[in-house]
Amino acid sequence: MICDECGRPATVRFVEMVDGEMRLMRLCDECASARGIGLSLAPLAGPLVSMLMGLLEEVGAEEAAELQGPVCPGCGLSYKDFRRTGKLGCADCYTSFENELRPLIRRIHGSTRHTGGIPSKAPEDVESIREVRRLKLELEKAVRHEEYERAAEFRDRIRSLESTPRKEDGDGNV
Amino acid sequence: MGTFEQMLAMPPSWLDASGPTSNVVLSTRVRLARNLNDVAFPARADRTGLERVRDRILAAASAGNYLGNALVLIMDESSKAQRQILVERHLTGQEFAEDGFGRAVIIGDREIVSAVINEEDHLRLASLRSGLQPMDAWRLVDRIDTELEQNLHYAYSSDWGYLTSCPTNVGTGMRVSVLIHLVGLVRSDRTAQILGSISKLGLSVRGFYGEKSAALGGFFQVSNQMTLGQSEDDIAYTVERVAGQLVTLELEARSELGEKGGQEIEDEVHRAYGILSSARIISSEEMMALCSSLRFGITEGFIDSVDLATVNRLLVSTQPGHLKCFDGRDPGPEQRDRMRADLIRKELASGNGV
Repeated sequence: MICDECGRPATVRFVEMVDGEMRLMRLCDECASARGIGLSLAPLAGPLVSMLMGLLEEVGAEEAAELQGPVCPGCGLSYKDFRRTGKLGCADCYTSFENELRPLIRRIHGSTRHTGGIPSKAPEDVESIREVRRLKLELEKAVRHEEYERAAEFRDRIRSLESTPRKEDGDGNV
Repeated sequence: MGTFEQMLAMPPSWLDASGPTSNVVLSTRVRLARNLNDVAFPARADRTGLERVRDRILAAASAGNYLGNALVLIMDESSKAQRQILVERHLTGQEFAEDGFGRAVIIGDREIVSAVINEEDHLRLASLRSGLQPMDAWRLVDRIDTELEQNLHYAYSSDWGYLTSCPTNVGTGMRVSVLIHLVGLVRSDRTAQILGSISKLGLSVRGFYGEKSAALGGFFQVSNQMTLGQSEDDIAYTVERVAGQLVTLELEARSELGEKGGQEIEDEVHRAYGILSSARIISSEEMMALCSSLRFGITEGFIDSVDLATVNRLLVSTQPGHLKCFDGRDPGPEQRDRMRADLIRKELASGNGV
């Protein structure tokens, strides 16, 4: 954070009304006290001040979020940090940053869909998820080509797959 | 179980030149990147988390058929010299040799299979085979992975497959990497063009020791770039096919060179042999260049008193970390170049099929 007045490191942030518009200012200690604000503000703690302070915090948080991008609740990594290091923090990052990662992963791999191996302890019945996904594509295609009998077949197979309870793991360890 | 010293005493089997097209391809490596689902990835996990990951993976490995009797090295207890040797034997990356919590390596018999714990990912399983055999290497590492996942919960999503620390590995987590000797193409000035077209096929090309190393002596690593969207079989097959084409091109280049300048090449490879078998001081770069010529001479039939496996082994056994260890202390660069020359003379004098 740099002082808007002199370019030195800023320590104070405050909201100023200029011509009826709210403006966020950043100032260093010196420029702040030159304007009669700064540390002396807090002890006043009047209703107007606390309203301003509330606004200030909100603006500050928004600004921080804008700078950092989303943050993964699983490990606390910000998307900005990921862009800097190229390394994700935990498995949850893939969900937390899904929107940001999707185009990136497409650029790297030319695909966003895993078609390879499935662990025996996969959290979901991946085989049937994959089959449903495939059938839905087939269904759309059939509808586009006005092949309604085929479409109905696909629809029934999707329904039956989606209503089947998933297989239990042998050791109940899901 | 074995010890580190016993491992060192036996050359890694991937250098023994017994695999398919060993005249051009030194080795094939297939590695799978895996993470446990309930601990942050290594760069973000704390010490307790990393040690828990390590202990769980070690327990799963010791219960299995493939890694049950393997050598286990806990990095906190290993010397810097030992870690350098792991890098030179292509068992771990350079970064892994630095300090970090919860790191360990499991090394199977003759270094055919290995597991690196808490490097960039919680687990990197690898198999290293002689010559060009991506399919075999993949099947082997897959069997170990299948065995381990009976006892480990991997981070996995149905959309994105195996979740990895770096999104460049997500999906299969699989990297197939072929160490290939393109001395003929380098001499015919055709590598830039051919290796350029390879990157268009979704493969990447690096030097002998990975990402940052130059292609010393015409040794290159060719590997798949994409890990998501293709099945493991398809990835292995693509690398096998493209590397196979490189082998064909390389053999053509070698025989063209032989036809055009047979006598010069015969002279040159014997000069290389002469220096290697009598010099008293050899730097690591000179060793790579001369061994490259010597390999060329052997595969083109100019030299028959040394075999390929001996030259392959020299490429690793004369690296700095290895020379340190045989002596028991750090010899410093000058002394090391003398030790390197001594070792090369000894190995070449003992002739073929050591």
